[in-house]
Parts: sequence; C-alpha cells; structure tokens
Amino acid sequence: MTRLVNAELLKLRTTRTAVGVFALTVAVTALIMTAVMLIAGRPGQPAIDSGILPDLVVVAKGPLVIFALILGVLGMSGEFRHGTATPTFLVTPHRGRVVAAKVVAHALAGVTLAAASAVVALGIGLPWLRSKGVEVAIFDADVGSRLLGLAATSALHAVLGIGLAALIRNQVVAVAAGLLWMRIEDLLPAVLHRPGLGRWLPEGAAAALTGASPATLSMWAGGLLFAAYGLALALIGTRFVVRRDLT
Amino acid sequence: MSAINVHGLSKRFGDVLAVDGLGFDVEEGTVVGFLGPNGAGKTTTLRMLLGLVAPTAGTATFAGRAYRELPAPTRMVGAVLEASGFHPGRSARNHLRVLATAAGLPGSRVDEVLGQVGLADAAGRRVGGFSLGMRQRLGLAAALLGDPGVLLLDEPANGLDPEGIHWLRGLIRRQADEGRTVLVSSHLLAEVAQTVDQVVIIARGRLVAHSTLADLTAGAAAAVRVRTPQAEALRDRLAAGGAAVQLDGPDKLVVTGVTTEQVGRAAAAAGIVLHEMRFERSNLEEVFLELTNHGGNRS
Repeated sequence: MTRLVNAELLKLRTTRTAVGVFALTVAVTALIMTAVMLIAGRPGQPAIDSGILPDLVVVAKGPLVIFALILGVLGMSGEFRHGTATPTFLVTPHRGRVVAAKVVAHALAGVTLAAASAVVALGIGLPWLRSKGVEVAIFDADVGSRLLGLAATSALHAVLGIGLAALIRNQVVAVAAGLLWMRIEDLLPAVLHRPGLGRWLPEGAAAALTGASPATLSMWAGGLLFAAYGLALALIGTRFVVRRDLT
Repeated sequence: MSAINVHGLSKRFGDVLAVDGLGFDVEEGTVVGFLGPNGAGKTTTLRMLLGLVAPTAGTATFAGRAYRELPAPTRMVGAVLEASGFHPGRSARNHLRVLATAAGLPGSRVDEVLGQVGLADAAGRRVGGFSLGMRQRLGLAAALLGDPGVLLLDEPANGLDPEGIHWLRGLIRRQADEGRTVLVSSHLLAEVAQTVDQVVIIARGRLVAHSTLADLTAGAAAAVRVRTPQAEALRDRLAAGGAAVQLDGPDKLVVTGVTTEQVGRAAAAAGIVLHEMRFERSNLEEVFLELTNHGGNRS
C-alpha cells in the first residue's frame, strides 16, 4: 500500500496540475488577506484585536476547499481522461487499492494546501497585527484547533473529490456536480423547512471542522460524518464505476 | 507447458458478440501472431487476459492463473495496448517512474528500458510532444519494465515508420531468443510473418486457424502455370489425366491438382514443347484473407 501511495504522490508531483493548484491557493490566500487588512476595523467588520487571529487562519477556507475538491476530482478522473487508467490497473489489477491509495495521497495533498494557506495567512497577518500594536499569542488553543480543522476539511474535500470522480468518470461533470451540490446544500434545509438538517449534510458537517457552533455538530462528529460521505462515494464509485470494463 | 490459456472465452457488448467461444493455448517460449481483421475481437481478448475487461463467459489465464491473481503481474506479464495512455504533461521518465514505484521495481529499471526502446534522449521531455511512434516505444518500455516472461503486444507496429518496424521485429526476436513468450496482434499477416513461430487467426470473435506459418501455406491452394505454343493440346492431355486445367490466354495454362513433374511427363509423352513452367502457391496474405472472410462478409 505504501508503494501505491508513493506512486500516487509521484503522479501529483510530476504534472503541473497540483503545482498550479498549490500556487493558486497561495495567491488567493494572499489576496483575501490583503482585503481583510483593508477593511478590518471598519464598522461591521472584525475588530483588529488578538481575537482575530483564529479567524485569520481559516480566512481562505472557502476557495481552499474548492481547490482541494478539484484536485481530488482531477486525480481520479484524469486516469480515465488520459487513458492512464490502463497502465495503472495493469500494475495494480485490484482497482480498489488504487482508489484507496488515491484517497490517502490526495488527503495528504489537501493537508499541504491547507498548510500553505495557513502559512500565507499568518505570514501576512502576524506582522500586520504587530504593526497595529496588537499582542497575539500564536500558540493559542483556538489557533491550534483552527489549524487542525483547516487541514482536516481540506484533506477531506480532496477525498470527496476522489469519491465524486470515482462515481462520475467525466472530469467536468464531476467538478460541476461538486460545486453545484455546495450551492444546493445551502438552500436545502430552507426549501425542506428542516432548519436542523444542514448539520447532517456534507458541507454542514464539514463546517464543524473549522468553526463548531451550537448550529453544527461537534468538531469530531462533523469531521467523521464528512469523512464518511467522501469514503462512501469512493466505495460506491469503486464498486459500480471504477471496476467497469476498460475498453 | 503453456504460458497463456484461453478457453471458451466470450464477450458481449450490448448486442455485439465481440468474442465468441474463443479457445487457444500459447506454448511457453513461442512467438505467436494474433491475427484478424479490425474488429475481429483481438483487443477485447487481450484486455480480458489482462483483467481490464470482464469476460461474459470462459477464462483467459496465464498458466492457469488469472492476471489479477498473479503475485507480481508486471514481473510476469508485460503489455502494450492501443488505448493505453500517458498524461501529456508528464515526462517519459516520470511516467515510467510512477509505474515502477507502484510495482515496487527498482528505479534503475526506468533508464534501462528507456535505453532499450531508444528513448533515452527524450526521457525528460513531456509526452504531450511525442509522436505516435515515440508513444508506442514508451508503451513498450512500460511493458518491459518488470522484465516479464510473457509479452502481449496489441498492434505494436502502429505509428512506427519502416525503420521502427524493423527495430520492433528485432526487439521481439531478441525477447523470444531469451526464452520469453510473445503474443503479438496485428491485422496484417505480412507485418508479423517474419517474426512469429505460430499464428492464431480469429474472425468475428471466433478462432479460424491456429497453426505454424508453414502449415498455413501448405494447406493453401497451389497451381502450376505453363506457357506453351500447344496450349490446347496440353490442356486436353492433362484434363484426360484428371487435372483441373484452365486456359489463361492463347498460350498459357493454369493447372491445379498436379505436380510440375506430372505436367512435364505429360508434355514429353505428347511431344509438346514447354516454354515456361512454374509452381505457384497462394501467398500468405491470400490465405489470410480467405480464412478471415470465410463464412460471409464482416459486419
């Protein structure tokens, strides 16, 4: 299994796709941080005080999880799009193992994206707060839990991407389905008149990872539920789609 | 000991029966041409052997074991398949490094096989810029990565220039000389005739012939062509002896069912002058066409 995960990590490192997504994450985080610095402290915006630090860690979470999801989708569907599925499955005829290795490798890639985003956010945010004369404690429990949550949600969104693409071979359709679901999920509880439903849906569960509140599940429960969604998709996709004839 | 066993193998794609009760064995250490017109079911058969396509019925194994049951498939079987792909943005070397990593093969094999297929100089280039011939070589490099005892090559000559085809023949021959088993598919008999020990010919998913090349041509129709100013006299003489004779111009005959000796003797006995006589066998390509078209037109 280690061999297969290493092979998947090598796949990620040897095309421009993952590098591009990484660069995009860094750039977008920097952009958002700039915007935050410009508007912070204005009426209706977060105050510039030590309490802002945990929020800065997850400042680019929205785009970050979308990038992670796309990276996961590309990692799986690319095999079919480019026909590399044939050599891949010749080396590893048990296709479920390939999907499992992709899940692990892309989860690690998701963690890397989250780390890059957090480093950029804090790299810009800490000097800025210091220049405003705000004393900040970086080794703060809240900051730590946000960092952990950001890494987890990014990793699990990449896993969700693998699951989506295992189920929907077409790259564009799989990405579109993922993004569309995020929108639908926002509306669903209201449409169904079930306000409590949201926390049980994938993105609602994921939200607990980076900001647990009375409206969400606990961080652990949300994380596990969200992981279960991604893994369930990957399992169903492997069983019914990935194992199909490769002609 | 046979290296490849195909038994009662069938595959249905919707309404199309692509492979229909196919059966043949390939002996260890032989080079076998797997022949048939386009659409005969060659690729589907190879993909079933490799576990990429699930058979509707029957089995396709390597010495009795399904591909997915092989403990280290890449070390036992190497395959070049037509639709086998490459990520256009990945270099040739990295493509092979990925496969070697997943297969647990030493990284040194990557440069060895790149050299073997003549791609050492292009190893660092991205595959997107490769010609069809270079991609075919890279596919071969991937197949050779695990130094396997059995090679399955699906139309490996596609996209190769004449020099490349010559090189490919040499490569297949060297693999065979080292005792490897090679099953090489083609829709052109002439392409593999110089390389193979045996042929398995299929049409419409069914086996139509499995023999050595010599046996294949021995069974083919043969004729004696004669040029003589007394064509009609010789015709009557031979026809009386039971041969099938056809006049092919004012001074030419085509005689079947006799040897040149018999024709010569008949001519001498009747005092007939012969200007030319030669024995002619249908060539391989004609035999192949006849076999694969037998039993109606291809759909």
